[in-house]
Amino acid sequence: MKKSYLLAVLLVVIAVVLLLQTGSATSEYANFAKAAESGDKVQLVGTYVKDKPTIYDPLTDPNYFSFFLEDLAGTEREVILLMGKPQDFEMSESIVLTGRMQDERFIASDIQMKCPSKYKDEEEMIKNLTES
Amino acid sequence: MEEIQYLNEHLGPRYIGHFAIVVAFFAALLSMVSYFLATQYRSEVLRSRGWQRLGQLSFLAHGAAVFTVIGCIFFAMLNQYYEYQYVTAHVDGQLQQRYIFSAFWEGQEGSFLLWTFWHVILGYVLMVTARSWEKPVMAVVCSVQVIIVSMLLGVHFGFGDFLIKLGSNPMLLLRETVNAPIFQQADYVDLLRGNGLNPSLQNYWMTIHPPTLFLGFASTVVPFAYAVAGLWTGRHKEWLTPGLKWSLFSAGILGIGILMGAAWAYEALNFGGYWAWDPVENTSLVPWLMLVAGIHTNLISRATGQGIRATYLFYLFTFVLIVYSTFLTRSGVLGDTSVHAFTEMGLEAQLLFFLGFYFVLSLGLVVWRWKHIPVPEKEESTSSREFWMFIGSLTLFMSAVLITGSTSLPVYNEIRQAFDPVFDGLTLTDPEAHHNRFQIWIGIFIGLLSGVAQYLRWREKKFSKHVRWFALHTGLALVGAALLTFLTLQWIEAPTLPYKAMVFAGWFAVWANVDYLFFFVRKDPKVAGSVVSHLGFGIMLIGIMASSGNKRIISQNQFLMEGLTEDEQLARSTVRLYEGIPLGMEDYIVTYTGDTIEGMNRRYFMDYKRVNAAGEVIEEFQLDPNVLYDKGFDKIAITNPSTKHYWNRDVFTVIMGLPPEEQSVSVRQATEDSLKYRVTPLSRGEETSFRDTVAIPQRDRSIIYTYTVGLEDFSRHPSHPEYTPEPGDIGLGAKVRASRTGGIANHDTIADVAIVLREGLLYHYPAQLNDMSLRVKIDESIFEQLLVKDADLQYREFVVKPGSRFRIGGREVTFQRFISQPEVDHFQPQDGDIYVSALLESEGQTMQPVFLIRGNQPSGIRDEITEQGLYAHLLSLNPETNEATLRVASSRPTSAPTIPLAVAPRSYRTDYITLQAIEFPGISLFWFGATSMMLGLLISMVTRARARRKDFVRA
Repeated sequence: MKKSYLLAVLLVVIAVVLLLQTGSATSEYANFAKAAESGDKVQLVGTYVKDKPTIYDPLTDPNYFSFFLEDLAGTEREVILLMGKPQDFEMSESIVLTGRMQDERFIASDIQMKCPSKYKDEEEMIKNLTES
Repeated sequence: MEEIQYLNEHLGPRYIGHFAIVVAFFAALLSMVSYFLATQYRSEVLRSRGWQRLGQLSFLAHGAAVFTVIGCIFFAMLNQYYEYQYVTAHVDGQLQQRYIFSAFWEGQEGSFLLWTFWHVILGYVLMVTARSWEKPVMAVVCSVQVIIVSMLLGVHFGFGDFLIKLGSNPMLLLRETVNAPIFQQADYVDLLRGNGLNPSLQNYWMTIHPPTLFLGFASTVVPFAYAVAGLWTGRHKEWLTPGLKWSLFSAGILGIGILMGAAWAYEALNFGGYWAWDPVENTSLVPWLMLVAGIHTNLISRATGQGIRATYLFYLFTFVLIVYSTFLTRSGVLGDTSVHAFTEMGLEAQLLFFLGFYFVLSLGLVVWRWKHIPVPEKEESTSSREFWMFIGSLTLFMSAVLITGSTSLPVYNEIRQAFDPVFDGLTLTDPEAHHNRFQIWIGIFIGLLSGVAQYLRWREKKFSKHVRWFALHTGLALVGAALLTFLTLQWIEAPTLPYKAMVFAGWFAVWANVDYLFFFVRKDPKVAGSVVSHLGFGIMLIGIMASSGNKRIISQNQFLMEGLTEDEQLARSTVRLYEGIPLGMEDYIVTYTGDTIEGMNRRYFMDYKRVNAAGEVIEEFQLDPNVLYDKGFDKIAITNPSTKHYWNRDVFTVIMGLPPEEQSVSVRQATEDSLKYRVTPLSRGEETSFRDTVAIPQRDRSIIYTYTVGLEDFSRHPSHPEYTPEPGDIGLGAKVRASRTGGIANHDTIADVAIVLREGLLYHYPAQLNDMSLRVKIDESIFEQLLVKDADLQYREFVVKPGSRFRIGGREVTFQRFISQPEVDHFQPQDGDIYVSALLESEGQTMQPVFLIRGNQPSGIRDEITEQGLYAHLLSLNPETNEATLRVASSRPTSAPTIPLAVAPRSYRTDYITLQAIEFPGISLFWFGATSMMLGLLISMVTRARARRKDFVRA
């Protein structure tokens, strides 16, 4: 089966090359500064700034949701999410956005939210369980 | 502290369940050791048989114990014993019985139990069928059982300060898992309610997908166990036949399980697709790919003796990857990269041990036996079938490696962060595009191989003799596929070369396999399964290209936004629909016609009309996507799509959002409270006007509207679309005319408003005029004005005959006559009512108090002449004397009645939804192809099992 082994080695080499290519498809989680610098599509982690204006008016444009996000470096920028406001948005603990910087705003085409588990503490859980 | 004697706890299932878990663990351990020794002493028949017998008995006991644990949990769940932590977490009073299974495997412990359940069943089957392989195979199965059951033990060991938690016990009581003041109460059980099953899992897919998937998961242990047994006992060839049957079974079931997950995502969740390269999806696909690679090398090994080593490796890796998948989804390491991973449960260390143990075991065995595994001296020729099948297996292997690599990024991050805490972590910017880019080439290659390999012969020695036949058929297949690809591309688009190649590869596989079927099925019926699978693969490739490559977002956004890329425009895929107003979307006209609420489920009805270029309606259908509210209507738990299936395309529709006031009752209340109502008293025919300045969001402009509201008419008999009268209601209804000028269009509407007092509670029936965002209601102050309470009045009693007069408060009142079954404004009769009114007249105005007998209970309804301050009750009537007993009061007359209308501009609209609609062409090809791929595996399994039985009988 020597031929097969040669092929196996060849395939492994191809796989390794492709996996290394994966490296170029990945990026570190960016912040606003890095995103502005690169100008490319990045993923960015941050938290929702509750006391800044949050605009979602489906009657005007159902695919325009604007809010402020504080990235891990502490910078706050306006984010335009190109879709409706997600369920439980206010409850999110952290937000992962996919998008790019355009001028001072971050244009996001995808969002993933990390929501806290249903009960923050046991007391609340018991309270919830005993309420009918 | 004093021990509390708790009341009403049901501890029976707990004691039995705990005991059964311990029995299950030790019986599996004993069975493992016995089977291990039985295998080790296999040369000493008697000694070996003794151990085997012990192994069998203890595995039977283990199985019984596992069933008992499951039974205890079900018993507690069915009876809603909320003192059990697992019951509170997954059940509530509203849970329908048909979802009890879903509730059972919603949690980690339940799904572990489901897994062990299938292992037990498979183990029983193996004990009967495995014959000489039973001992080593069962030893392996038992070892897995020991580890999985240990995850349910819930035992804590303390070594000094070091506490080791072994497993999470599903039979624990709530008070044993959390510490809360409520457990100071002896009767806490009566206070508890359940948490219920996650609404997104209350779905029939949740009932059938997990058991199928877990049977697939569990069954991979059998080929694994055979591979271990082969290495262990050194019978490297004998295990290939039973191993193949089991791996065909396993791959078929696992594949169907994965497909069910895809169908669930597509049919019932709002993902808008069937595959998203989510880590959880990937980690179940990877073992399947590995298993299929193993099946192919297994076939090669049986036919030619080549590739036994590869078969070992593939089957061993399959199971290790199953454990890896378990580790990824259950340890919490995936974190925010996956939408449906389990939450952490503190089992990370145990899961890691599970993974490490079988990885090291597999690797160790292979290394130990490597030299011992037979390899034929003669190499296969490049024109033989086995050669190209082997290449195919390696390609599948590579596909698995690539997917695993990318999916494991969170693991890589975790490891790197352990050494370098400031490391932020890497992530795939666009996972779908990344995976598609590699997998499309693998798909093309496999498609071509599964056609070509069918035309080649096993152990080819003289290809020169076969080459003409081969060239003819391959050539025909190439031409046929090219032709079919051309035709297909008239229907769907394949803009890039790889896309075109994928359609071509799909048709090539289809053509070659059909061709092969015609030639060979009579000679060898075993090929049927293979043809069904490879044909299915080809069709699936075309289906993927058609449905994913050509999916068309119908609900394209009509609002332009500058400076966006094409991808970003595509992300803007929702439209807003007003109730009753048709909206053109691409070649469809969609009308949201209304909605219904049933329990927590709110269903919306969408009328779809497809029109051709000339504007004629070609077809019509209705879709009814729904939203499910959480308990208390305080938020939306989940939205479910609705899909119209045609043979060549699907139209998928899902609700993306509702007005905030429709999402939650508390938001609605808050909005209602924040509205600024102006109250103006109006009499009949009067009207009032006011102006309102409205800013246009994001445009720095505003519009001045002029509103005019007039009172057309009013009546004490309220009428409103949402109001159904009930006896005892006191209410008032008005007809209101409202108009708005200014802005783009003028509006003018007449609407009904009402206010009702029912059993001391006030109910508003406002008019929401959405086209001018105006809300009108009758102000509560109406009651002060109109409804003078009886207690505040000084009544005098009169006994009078018809035609007679009496004086009260300076006015002369005439009792004109009785009216039997009068039709009056202030009273609405019901069936069976007996009622009479007295017609009273004073200064040209009349009133009619009513005497009513309803269900043998006499009562009365007051009437009044408000302008004269006269109020009257009809207490009774005497049929013999024809006299009426009246109670009449006179008080300060109130002026001609005015209705205080409360009017709020800029009110919220509630008559719209936002919607996403996608057309998937040819998605049924995907389902058909993928399903037939899995069925082909099962067909092969059955034909092989039959063939073996025949041989057995013949022998």
